[in-house]
Amino acid sequence: MSTEAADTTGPATMCPGRTVGPSTVYRGRSGQWAFVLHRISGFLVFAFLLLHVVDVGLVKFPRAYNEVHALYGNIALRLFEVGLLAALLYHSLNGLRIVMIDFFPRAVRSQKQMFRIVLGLTALGTAIGGFVIVDPFLTGTLGL
Amino acid sequence: MATPLDLDRTTGTALPRRSHQNFETWSWLFMRASGLILIFLALLHFTVTHLVTDVARTNIDFVGRRWQNSLWRLFDWLLLTLALAHGLNGVRWSVDDYVRNPTLRTAVKGTLYTVTAALFLYGTLTIVTF
Repeated sequence: MSTEAADTTGPATMCPGRTVGPSTVYRGRSGQWAFVLHRISGFLVFAFLLLHVVDVGLVKFPRAYNEVHALYGNIALRLFEVGLLAALLYHSLNGLRIVMIDFFPRAVRSQKQMFRIVLGLTALGTAIGGFVIVDPFLTGTLGL
Repeated sequence: MATPLDLDRTTGTALPRRSHQNFETWSWLFMRASGLILIFLALLHFTVTHLVTDVARTNIDFVGRRWQNSLWRLFDWLLLTLALAHGLNGVRWSVDDYVRNPTLRTAVKGTLYTVTAALFLYGTLTIVTF
């Protein structure tokens, strides 16, 4: 499925889309946003994973490893970790939603409610986890 | 990706459709299975290294203590392997969807496979030889 506005070959009546100039914009509403967020969160987690393999690889060079990991304690990278947690939680929960729909086809009827639950739990988990991650910085107890 | 109906050669009527398990079928199933395992592995990993232990304490001694236990090494290696494979396949799907130029698509995928394979080897060496 391409969300690019390049497909002008199909008959417009068959696409639940809006015509903007010569192209068509797909409007799938909640299911489409769930899909877009799934791709973005997955890509971000994958990009972080590649970086993370490199930084953990520094254990061979203890001094470099400790210097790089000391950076993770600063506030910018703590907020980055909160973002990582949000992406992980969303991708996990929406992944469950996808598995439900794939293996129990009737679950598609409640896909919208499941999407709202996914968003709600992601927000709740990120808020709780985010507090735990940022709190040591705010209270000055950096765990050292 | 639907295959056309198999037709009887003489009568032209549709034969009962057989299921064709090609690479993409297994790729789809792998994403579901690895995804379910990764929810457990990744969230537990994040909890241990970011929530239970403050990230400022995850220094070389922390890694050393943890990797004295072979089960944690196995856990980390499983997480590395499944997460890289799951992520690689997800990015592969996205590249197929969004990179329309065939030459560019081949180049992007080639880079993706090379970088992922290199990091898989590097990560495995890190865990095994620490």
